[in-house]
Amino acid sequence: MKFWGVRGVSILAGLGFAFGLETMVSAGLPNIYRLVVLAGLFITLAVSLNLINGITGQFSIGHAAFYMVGAYSAGFVSNQFYAQQSLGPQLWLVVMMVFGAFMAGISGFVVGLPSLRLRGDYLAIVTLGFGEILRIVVQNIAPLGGAYGMNVKPFGSPPKAIWIVWTLAMVCIAVCRNLLRTAHGLPFLAVREDEVASSAMGVNVPKTKVTSFVIGSAFAGAAGALFALYDTFISPDTFKMDVSFIILTMVVLGGTGSITGSVLAAVALFAIPEWLRTLQDPVTKVAIQIPGPSLVATMLAVIVAVALVKLIQDRFYGDKGKKLGLYVGAVGAGVAVQFLLAALLKGVPQLAKLSFEAAALRMVIFSATLIILMLLRPQGILAHHEFSWAWVSKLFGRRPSEANA
Amino acid sequence: MSEKPVVLSLDKATIQFGGLIAVNSVTFDLYKGDLFGLIGPNGAGKTTCFNLITGVYKPTSGSIKFNGKEVGGLAPAKIAEMGICRTFQNIRLFPALSVLENVVVGAYLRHKTSVYGAYTYLPPAINETESLKKDAMDLLEVMDLADMAGSRSADLPYGKQRRLEIARAMATKPDLILLDEPAAGMNPQEKEDLQATVRRIRDEFGKTVLLIEHDMRFVMGLCERIVVLDHGEEIAQGSPEAIRSDPKVIEAYLGEAV
Ligand SMILES: Nc1ncnc2c1ncn2[C@@H]1O[C@H](COP(=O)(O)OP(=O)(O)OP(=O)(O)O)[C@@H](O)[C@H]1O
Ligand SMILES: [Mg+2]
Repeated sequence: MKFWGVRGVSILAGLGFAFGLETMVSAGLPNIYRLVVLAGLFITLAVSLNLINGITGQFSIGHAAFYMVGAYSAGFVSNQFYAQQSLGPQLWLVVMMVFGAFMAGISGFVVGLPSLRLRGDYLAIVTLGFGEILRIVVQNIAPLGGAYGMNVKPFGSPPKAIWIVWTLAMVCIAVCRNLLRTAHGLPFLAVREDEVASSAMGVNVPKTKVTSFVIGSAFAGAAGALFALYDTFISPDTFKMDVSFIILTMVVLGGTGSITGSVLAAVALFAIPEWLRTLQDPVTKVAIQIPGPSLVATMLAVIVAVALVKLIQDRFYGDKGKKLGLYVGAVGAGVAVQFLLAALLKGVPQLAKLSFEAAALRMVIFSATLIILMLLRPQGILAHHEFSWAWVSKLFGRRPSEANA
Repeated sequence: MSEKPVVLSLDKATIQFGGLIAVNSVTFDLYKGDLFGLIGPNGAGKTTCFNLITGVYKPTSGSIKFNGKEVGGLAPAKIAEMGICRTFQNIRLFPALSVLENVVVGAYLRHKTSVYGAYTYLPPAINETESLKKDAMDLLEVMDLADMAGSRSADLPYGKQRRLEIARAMATKPDLILLDEPAAGMNPQEKEDLQATVRRIRDEFGKTVLLIEHDMRFVMGLCERIVVLDHGEEIAQGSPEAIRSDPKVIEAYLGEAV
């Protein structure tokens, strides 16, 4: 019965976390309510795409399409029936979430079928094309609001959604992780590794691929339904290709196949641009200005530091401590270059005149961070590793057996 | 010999790729417990024969019967389920998976609980995972790979990768196991060990074995019957002694020296 004890505690802990977040955010920080909802949705989107992309190895890149199917089907049905229902706003939200997941799961099945014949880039194009076609079709359907978008009932008074959003995220994580913890997840990984060998070992390759598409897209659809009812307004523009690419970036950056990586990358990629948007001087509340010479010097310094780190990474083997020292040296060299160049460039009058608002540079900083990460750690932040308590206790120098005692 | 049941029976099995007839009207029978060799020069159609038997290709004509049932043209996974498993000439492991996980994928074919149990991580799925892992571990023991169970399979040396492929195929609990050049790239010591292992697979585990191999010492020392292919055609069939002295085989493949 130890098993059920552990299960019970972790489920309670999960729910406690979701409700705690709800209470905390709505009581103390109402202005970040929307951000916390969106962060939960993006975790769901990234982890569910990881199931298709990272775990089953099907290069699907149009995940926003399933997000859209969930949002529009839930939005449309909610508009038709919200007035008649007597479930209350929260239960209605859950019902719509399940409905959105169902509709997206069906579309995932349809999009999954080409994956039986297509691989790699070709499949990627099909999935992306599906998303774009769907978006354009919706743009031309008047009952769905066309290009203007659609208001979703209950208008203007979104139901308290954080706990539902984050419970969905946790269920999505749990499903993927459970799959990987049992032998039942191995066929998915085997299909990713080698389809011919998988089928020779008796793995039903078509079924495995389609299953992963259906589950992955159903979770995306559930997230879409929550988004529609929470935001109370959806338009085709919300589900453009760049949303697909952000989700894909989260998966790749976190490490394809690592659920923990997807979660971390989803939070980071979501939070960084939002945080950069609000960059201002803490005292004067004026947006921070970056002088031209510093900007140019910083850019060059970053290039120098990255090149040095990459060189050390590729050319030096052996002692870890020594290598770490070299990395510190490389970063130091970057800082030195920055100071030197900044001082030198101040002498260039055309450049010294210029200055830039930090918040306006946020997409530049964002993309530069991505490029640097992909250069220095192409396997993703966590590669294929997962978070586990055993790993934590190792980190703190205690073996799990001692920790339990 | 003829009292033993026929396991695999090829009857005029043929496949044509465009203008090339890669396997032309090949006919032979495997009896239960046979250690059977398939040899011939490069490009003779040996691997293609395996691909026909395991459903990778559909025969253009002719029939392939396994335990009395036609398997020609069935899906590979279906054929694996019926009890034929194979290894690959150009090793096809699941590189990023561990040695143990590779074998569990094979063992998974005979699993019993439903996959829905896994999404919720309930005791049936957990217990089954444990028992599949245990079976896999036993097979690794047999193949002498148990000490490397946790390593990434791509990190194994070549000879061990070949042994791992055999362990993985064995895990599907086949009646008939097909080995495509299992000794390729092995040193003499490894080859000798492999011979003993293949014999054990037949004697101890009761499998029927069909193997392709270019190393004549290996084949002649191991197999009890041999079929020789050349340009897709069957040119001889019989005991190692008969094959060694067959003039057609000497001309097409073995050369005068053997
Ligand atoms: N899918 C295919 N399409 C066209 N030709 C093929 C195909 N598969 C095999 N062949 C041809 O069939 C012939 C037999 O190939 P096969 O791989 O069976 O030879 P093999 O006897 O296994 O040779 P080796 O000893 O080199 O492994 C070759 O000429 C090969 O090019
Ligand atoms: Mg071959």
